[in-house]
Amino acid sequence: MASEEGDDGPLVGRTDTLAEVLSDLRNVGPGGTAAVFVTGESGVGKSRLLRETARAMSAAGVAVLSGTCLDIGDASPLHPVLQALRQAEPRLRQSDTSADDPGALLDRVSRDLRAVAGGRRLLLVLDDLQWADRSTRQLLLYLLAGLGGVELSVLAAVRAEALHGAHPLRRVLAELRRLRSVRVVDLSPLDRAQTQELVSAITGGPVEPEDSDRVFKRSGGNPFVVEELARDLRDGRVELSDTLREIFLSRVDELPAPAHSVVHAISAGVEPIEHAVLARVTKLGEDELIEAIRAAVAHRFVASSAEGYRLRHRLVAEILEAEVLPAEATSLHRRYAEAMEAGGTIDHARLAHHWQRAGEPARALPSVVAAARSAEKLYGFTEAHRYWSLALDLTADDAPERTELLAHAAESAHLCGEHQRALARLAELAGRPDAPGRCDLHLRRARYLAAAGRSATAEVEYQLALEAPDCTPRQRASAAAYLAELLVHLCRYADAFERAAEALDLAAENGSTADLVRASAALGFSSAFREDPDAGLAVIRQAVEIAERSGHPDDLGVAYLHLAELLTGPLNKVEEGVLVARRGAERLASLGVGRTYQTRLLAIAGNGLFRVGQWSEADTVLEAAMRHRPSGADAVELLLARCRLWVGFGNIEAATRDLDAVATLLAGGGARHVLPMLTLRSGLAMWQRQHTQARAAVQRGLTETRADDLMLLGILAWHGLRAEAEALSDGEQVDPGALRRLKTVVQRMTDGVDSAATPVRAVIDGYIELCNAEISRIEQRHDPEPWLRAATAWDRRSQPYPAAYSRLRRAEAALTRRTTSTRKATAVIALREAYATTIAMGARPLADEIIATAQRFRVALADDVPTLPLRPPDPNPGDELGILTSREREVLAAMAEGLTNREIGEKLFISERTVGVHVGHIFDKLQVRTRVQASRVFLTAA
Amino acid sequence: MEGFFARGSTGPAATVAGPVLGALRVEKHLEEPMTQSVWGPVRQEMYDLLQSHPDDVPAVVDQLTKLQDILGRVPPLLAGNPLCDFNSLYLTITEGVLERLYAGKFKDPAFLSRLDVEFAARYFDALRAWAGPSESPRCPRVWAGLFQRIPGPDCRPLPAACAGVNAHINFDLPFALVTTFDHLGTDPIDDSDQHHDYLQINEIFAVSIPGLRRGYLDKWQLLIDTMNGCLDDWWQGEAVEYTRNVAWRNAQKLWGLRHDMGATDKERAHLDRISADLGRLLLSPLGEFLQ
Repeated sequence: MASEEGDDGPLVGRTDTLAEVLSDLRNVGPGGTAAVFVTGESGVGKSRLLRETARAMSAAGVAVLSGTCLDIGDASPLHPVLQALRQAEPRLRQSDTSADDPGALLDRVSRDLRAVAGGRRLLLVLDDLQWADRSTRQLLLYLLAGLGGVELSVLAAVRAEALHGAHPLRRVLAELRRLRSVRVVDLSPLDRAQTQELVSAITGGPVEPEDSDRVFKRSGGNPFVVEELARDLRDGRVELSDTLREIFLSRVDELPAPAHSVVHAISAGVEPIEHAVLARVTKLGEDELIEAIRAAVAHRFVASSAEGYRLRHRLVAEILEAEVLPAEATSLHRRYAEAMEAGGTIDHARLAHHWQRAGEPARALPSVVAAARSAEKLYGFTEAHRYWSLALDLTADDAPERTELLAHAAESAHLCGEHQRALARLAELAGRPDAPGRCDLHLRRARYLAAAGRSATAEVEYQLALEAPDCTPRQRASAAAYLAELLVHLCRYADAFERAAEALDLAAENGSTADLVRASAALGFSSAFREDPDAGLAVIRQAVEIAERSGHPDDLGVAYLHLAELLTGPLNKVEEGVLVARRGAERLASLGVGRTYQTRLLAIAGNGLFRVGQWSEADTVLEAAMRHRPSGADAVELLLARCRLWVGFGNIEAATRDLDAVATLLAGGGARHVLPMLTLRSGLAMWQRQHTQARAAVQRGLTETRADDLMLLGILAWHGLRAEAEALSDGEQVDPGALRRLKTVVQRMTDGVDSAATPVRAVIDGYIELCNAEISRIEQRHDPEPWLRAATAWDRRSQPYPAAYSRLRRAEAALTRRTTSTRKATAVIALREAYATTIAMGARPLADEIIATAQRFRVALADDVPTLPLRPPDPNPGDELGILTSREREVLAAMAEGLTNREIGEKLFISERTVGVHVGHIFDKLQVRTRVQASRVFLTAA
Repeated sequence: MEGFFARGSTGPAATVAGPVLGALRVEKHLEEPMTQSVWGPVRQEMYDLLQSHPDDVPAVVDQLTKLQDILGRVPPLLAGNPLCDFNSLYLTITEGVLERLYAGKFKDPAFLSRLDVEFAARYFDALRAWAGPSESPRCPRVWAGLFQRIPGPDCRPLPAACAGVNAHINFDLPFALVTTFDHLGTDPIDDSDQHHDYLQINEIFAVSIPGLRRGYLDKWQLLIDTMNGCLDDWWQGEAVEYTRNVAWRNAQKLWGLRHDMGATDKERAHLDRISADLGRLLLSPLGEFLQ
């Protein structure tokens, strides 16, 4: 952590690293962002590298924002970024009010970041990222995924020690380092020669080799320690100190008394410490204080900046912390707390920290509670949960406020996914004399259990709630509705139907609109799955009407979502479902509320439109949904939907960008979306003829899919078999192991399909047909029959894309067989039909395959498609640059100006390495050997 | 170097900064061709292999397979070195896991796959951090104990493999579990789907270690008894269930501490010390009677 600017020693042994970091930060990925994470031990020079990089970027016209994470364990959510923003734009403090939902909060922070950037690229520098709270990590991923719309590079330092054990950043970095736009740089200690260079730079003269060797041995090449030892050497201390501790402790002894107390005071504080606070804590007069600070700075303990005072380095802080007597520390913390209260600071987190360490739990409590509430306002439920827990630690068992605190602690634990903790808190709450009623407790326990995936126990709890003597009619309606919903999720449709009908009656009489909607949805879905779709539909339509009358955004959102899901899903009335979804989104938009619901409704519409082949319309809808700036799981779902579209359109660049964005967001956790991501990855790889990647994505997917999730298995197995078939047709070997496993999966699907609900069965059947057809393709049987069956299955589901694909393969098989002319005619019709469909959808890569097949067998597809492949156009001397991509042309133009690769990189915001790659391609394409030749071609053509 | 901060220092400086100085020797070490490497002639191959970080179970199996080949060429013991014995066992076990994943035998395969990857990553991390005795401050002591026996003296294959299993399960596994649960947003609950999947791996271990039968466990228990309090209650009474359950319990303990970096570090050091002691025992002449 921060050794402060102003007294930096020479930078030794880091020139190459610095250049690489600068280059990597410019090497933005498809999403317009880049990140470098610097890891290394304490004192190895991470902060220094951050500073040097920031300086260089700033000089190059990049906006720079810096923040530091706090090690008080309970910092407030988003602390480092909000702190950095406030420093840059003090007036942003005013706009710092609460937001409607977590997405709106992230959006607001992004807006502030864009304002600070003012049209320039932004570099966000974060030191000590290992102490970042969960919210900050999520914000970082959101920004790096490009969702904030900020042209951003992130440079962060992480202590290597922290990544051992089970630190959450460990996984985040492991996932991120696979992305091209992210780099993890391990900063090593200096070697012997570099140590010597640094020592002589500090001593300012020649050094005896044995002296510098001794420094190297004792410092292990750690630059911070080298510097301090070298200073001792310079100042003529005869016996070098053996430890950093000794160096600094002997310096403490040399300090004048006031400076001594300043240093101790700062070591007990949370940095940076403002001058006014320090004055109150040390109780020194103004002149005396300034003189004391001067001395502390001169003795290299303290660094001063505009924000306040810090100790020069974390390592120094750790040494001093051990030196301060416990009683002394307690009194310092008390003085901090008093000083902060007197100064009117409202940093609850810090205040709580000091009161707690001052041994005054009662005085800490109000701040802790306030900190918990403000964390909840920022949707930092993890942080809120920790504050509520801390509040409980601060109260005795018999304190009356404990009951309320327990309720908050349980709920916040539930909200941040600490299910076990939530249940434990609830158990304690139940044991309080003034505990809530039994029904209430059962209801809560049931909700927590259901969230933890313990459905059986949750079901029992709902039953108990219903049977509780103190159960009000309203609670009964609510419990019945939740129970019915749970049973739908458990696929127990008969039970769900019964329970839902009962819940609907209860809710109609005594329930809230929310219960009514929930019960209707459960009834609707369970009837639909029990082969009485019309009854189900009627119920949910009624729920929408009820919600319309109530006009409450949540009711409206939920009701429209259920109706749209039922229509597009189990009922397969996609067009109507899309209409409903769009209408719902418009309705909410007209009220100006429910951003999250609007996003989800539009996602349903987009996915539905994709399936029925209206791709350009799907594109429009998804574009509109993205303008709501979704975050978290909603964002992932939208990105996946849009990526599916790009893969279909064959827009490889956009598909790659969205897949990278999804991978970035998923680095923060979540398993549900990994499989769709892998499926898309393999589909994209197949269009690029990258068979190895396509196969690897499917194999990974197979290891992570539940055996009973036939739908996901179906898509994966089809992709896997198709990848094998494609590899084979490109002359590669089929992987026998993979084929065997894929066949096992198909068998599992065939065995299990009968027990699936009817609407699900139809889709799985479609995939089974596709899988069997691909198997016959792999076995090179050239049999059109299985493909005909697949096409029919997908026609029945009104899904033109897989149907067109099946028609292509059907025609291909038939034509390869050289059958009778009637059969050939049928094949040609199928091919033409497939072609017309794909052209209408804009499915470019599939259309290209159809064209290639048609040309191979000399089949005329349509009037405007040539029967024979066109010869490449004659090289036109005037249009030689036509073969270059637009990026290559930009690079060539810059090259013709006489710029070096590095200069080109800086100009175009790409790394020097990437420029080199482009130059190589340009040389190849233009068939030149030198930059001068290439420039000549460019100038002649232009 | 390790003693730089150690002397007379009791504060956080000792625990936090102490062992880290001089770290990252590995990378440097491997990059400098002139330096003598612990891996001898396979240094470059080892370095290249450890550059990649597998992110699914098939890739882990692939990495372990390549590692097996490389380890078998480390002189002087070649395929007879103790790490080779462990790696071979670990490879067999991971293949067993992959087989079951493909066969759909687990209730929550996403959990188990992540766990397997996260688990293996810690073994690869330890290898990355190994640059020789007293040159590897970042390498856990329990692993260092096994690694430093690579050049010899020779020991019997079963205790050697068990020493690796000890390091991997008693030390690495609890942390791998915590990271996996944290990443997937669930918590370690007894009798959950994840717990059942986790226990299935015991079966794979049981069939993969030929000696790990009743009689073997009795001997193991005897060994523990002879240690007599050198290992604390952490171990007592748990031996028969085999150490994997201890790992689950430790993971639950760590789960509660995971937001407290200081406490987690302390627990980590504690686990390292205890498992290192046990590992030393397994590799001592005493361990031979397991064979």
